[in-house]
Amino acid sequence: MDVEILYLRMRHRLVVSPDQTVRVKDIAQLVGPDDTTSTIGQLTIHKITVHDKTIVVIDLMKVLQRIRNFNPGLEVQTVGPVQTIIEVNYPKTKITGVYFVLVWMLLFIGSALAIMNFHEDVSMQSVHQKIYYLITGKQNDYPLLLQIPYSFGLGLGMVLFFNHIFKKRFNEEPSPLEVEMFNYQQDLDLYVIMNENKENEKKTNDD
Amino acid sequence: MTIKILIIFFIGIGGGLAVGAGFVAILTVFGIIPRLMQISKTYNYLRGYEIGIISGVVFASWYGLRDMTIHSSPLLLIPIGIACGTFVGMLAAALTEVLNVLPILMKRVGFKEQLLILLMAILFGKLIGSLFHWTYFVHL
Repeated sequence: MDVEILYLRMRHRLVVSPDQTVRVKDIAQLVGPDDTTSTIGQLTIHKITVHDKTIVVIDLMKVLQRIRNFNPGLEVQTVGPVQTIIEVNYPKTKITGVYFVLVWMLLFIGSALAIMNFHEDVSMQSVHQKIYYLITGKQNDYPLLLQIPYSFGLGLGMVLFFNHIFKKRFNEEPSPLEVEMFNYQQDLDLYVIMNENKENEKKTNDD
Repeated sequence: MTIKILIIFFIGIGGGLAVGAGFVAILTVFGIIPRLMQISKTYNYLRGYEIGIISGVVFASWYGLRDMTIHSSPLLLIPIGIACGTFVGMLAAALTEVLNVLPILMKRVGFKEQLLILLMAILFGKLIGSLFHWTYFVHL
């Protein structure tokens, strides 16, 4: 009889709803004989409870242990990440809209203040007066002809940098902000993986 | 006399070197040029852009410090203003980026989907703030 090999690859991240039962097929991709993958896939790995809060890390070893208990003779080959981060997605509260408007206003007023401070800080007004003089040869204390296009240019520059004209993007490449968010998420994930695993270790020692 | 001239000359070159190196360093950290090349897909013209920046800096230092004027039409100020603004806008955007403000903020407030609307808040904040500064604040 041929040796059955089951290939298993943990998913990087899984979003579940509260009280959901996490099965092997949810947290890992399986390749192998059809009947094996379907039975193994149905094995329960974890039941989400309120106690889990928002993040649970499932280690590969836990999955292997579960599979082994079920079928000791099965050979499992693992590929890819060695743990899955489960994010519990609690339904959002209703105040989100108000909250959003507040954050919007905060960003709006904050960036307006920041740009004004920047202008004062680098004496932008006198630089603009100087540019006005360099071009026209006349003194003008309020060179609005330069400053109003400058203000619109500010907006344009930010749009260019973030690669968006609102919904429409210039090209397929991700914007620096998206890359930055991705990097930040990676760092968070790494922290969670390390930290949650350490906690598990501590708990088993305490018992 | 010659010694004095030489010393002044030396100080001038030293100051210029420090400021020029600093300018290029900050442009590199902000990554505005790679960004512009990425948008316009002109990776091959890197040398040209370098020359552009250097000549811009040298020209503006000379022209600006000499108090010269070209007695031109004020309308020329409009494209100059747009160009200045775009550059400063990109600097500002890049600065927020370097400081990692937005990823942390987005994560904290948890509005990943509405990222664009929040970006618009920053963008309009800059625009309106700047207009307000020039049309009202400077008169105070």
